[in-house]
Amino acid sequence: MKRTRWIEVRGWSLTSPYLIFTLIFFIIPLIWGIVLLFTNWNLISPHRDFVGFANFIEALKSPKVHAAFFTTYKVMAIFIPTVLTSSLAIALLINSIPRLKGLISVGFFLPYLVSGVAVALVVNGVLSYNSPLSPMFRRLFGCVPDWFGNSTLAVMVISLMITWKLSGYYALIFLSGLSSIPKELYEAADIDGAGWWTKLFKITIPMLYPALYTVIILAVGLMFGIFTEPYMLTGGGPDLATHTWVLEIYYQAFSSMRAGYASMIALINATVTFISIIIIRKIMEGWGKRHGWT
Amino acid sequence: MGGHKGLINTFKYSLIIIGLSISIFPLVYMLLQSLAPWNEVNRNIIPTTLTLRSYNWLLLGSAIAKAKPWLRSLLNSTIVTASSTFLMVFSAAIVGYALSKLKFRGRNSIYNFILFQMFYPGIILLIPTFLIVKSLGMYNNYLGMIIPKAMSIWAIFMYTSFFKSIPQEVIDSARVDGASELRIIFRIALPMSRSITIVVALFLFMGRWEELLWDMIVVSDYKLMTLNVLIATMKSTYGGYPGPMYAASILLVIPVLILFIAFSKDFAKGIKLVFK
Repeated sequence: MKRTRWIEVRGWSLTSPYLIFTLIFFIIPLIWGIVLLFTNWNLISPHRDFVGFANFIEALKSPKVHAAFFTTYKVMAIFIPTVLTSSLAIALLINSIPRLKGLISVGFFLPYLVSGVAVALVVNGVLSYNSPLSPMFRRLFGCVPDWFGNSTLAVMVISLMITWKLSGYYALIFLSGLSSIPKELYEAADIDGAGWWTKLFKITIPMLYPALYTVIILAVGLMFGIFTEPYMLTGGGPDLATHTWVLEIYYQAFSSMRAGYASMIALINATVTFISIIIIRKIMEGWGKRHGWT
Repeated sequence: MGGHKGLINTFKYSLIIIGLSISIFPLVYMLLQSLAPWNEVNRNIIPTTLTLRSYNWLLLGSAIAKAKPWLRSLLNSTIVTASSTFLMVFSAAIVGYALSKLKFRGRNSIYNFILFQMFYPGIILLIPTFLIVKSLGMYNNYLGMIIPKAMSIWAIFMYTSFFKSIPQEVIDSARVDGASELRIIFRIALPMSRSITIVVALFLFMGRWEELLWDMIVVSDYKLMTLNVLIATMKSTYGGYPGPMYAASILLVIPVLILFIAFSKDFAKGIKLVFK
């Protein structure tokens, strides 16, 4: 009996930092956030009105919210395929070489360490009209593209910046997945005379399911929180082509001072994120099941 | 056959060299441009001569423009990131230990709530958390940047699952010897999880160092801004001075790189445990 009480006291006192923190920075904001959704408060004045569902209706009609919604999927359509290809390629390369594996994987991880703010400055410089890369672009495209004046190009630049940053990180996840694939599978395939591509698509990729699942969920989740790159480079333009959820929430809450309206957009963002992740998970799990993963 | 294999390896290493060049190009570019004469910044990849003019201008200012507190902001970044990281690791170790090694009533509920929080989109909490920080008097000071980022749900989760692998006998025998729970955590459990602690701390440090949105909204005073925020804030004002901006980026990137390279061996070891 005494022993039991001792463990209760220790358990609750050691978790108390978490409990207090969660109360102040999770539970209370959660409740406050719900109240805010239905007000038109401007963060400063003591005056605030209950506006019912006006914020919700305004957000649903807002072209900026629509833009944020579509930008996420546009960036995703470029980012997911490119990041999967490059990180898988990096992992396969590193896995297949005899020497310097550790050093090389650290090298590929370096972009993850570079702050998006600093990378944005470089991208801005490199893509400027007179940049040292301009002659190359002129040779390739016949002119220097107006990278941030063209919607498609701007989305592409931002997506590829994120691909650059995360490829090495995701490659580490794939590397640890590759190390757990039994060698016998490849030996058996060799006996059957399977080629490199067949082995890749019939053995490696299906066997990487757990790593692929992790990477895809991480990558999709990331797409709904893009902020630094468009904030630094485009401000959401041109024509809202790179406007993102977090950018819209930030501008509404801290430039236009519309805390209630911004909270409503945050809630819509969270809901869209949640539904998108569930759909992706279902697709992934279906694919996994067909390859014998449960 | 041997020659064939050698050829394939040469091909692979060349691919790797191309890949690595793309990976580090922005870093190299940043460094070279920060040292370039001003009329060559963003004109030549490799400057004809090297100069410290950009660093000088950045840190000392010029006749017409007083320097912004760049070194101070580097110090701010260091203080904020180091304190936050320390608190996140410290709290995660304690809570993770309690959740994995103490079978108290309510443990499962707490653990389930942590899982719920992990998947809860933080963006909904951004504005109300800002209001709480403001009402607690932490707006525009270090506490506003440190305290709301003093606990990491992910780190708690990592420690909870990692401490499970520590044999119960080790802990029981320490208790028999009269060690307190805190002593067990910091003298036994944490030292036994050195690699995981280094990986967790490095990830938390990098994430905190790069934070832009939160640090931007809780601080308005130039003297208190982190380096990351100061660069982002000055990007249009200093738009005509790309050289000094590259110099500031180098100041921003170097500390993280040094830290990471110093621990890269432990990182390589620990990362395998994280993604297991």
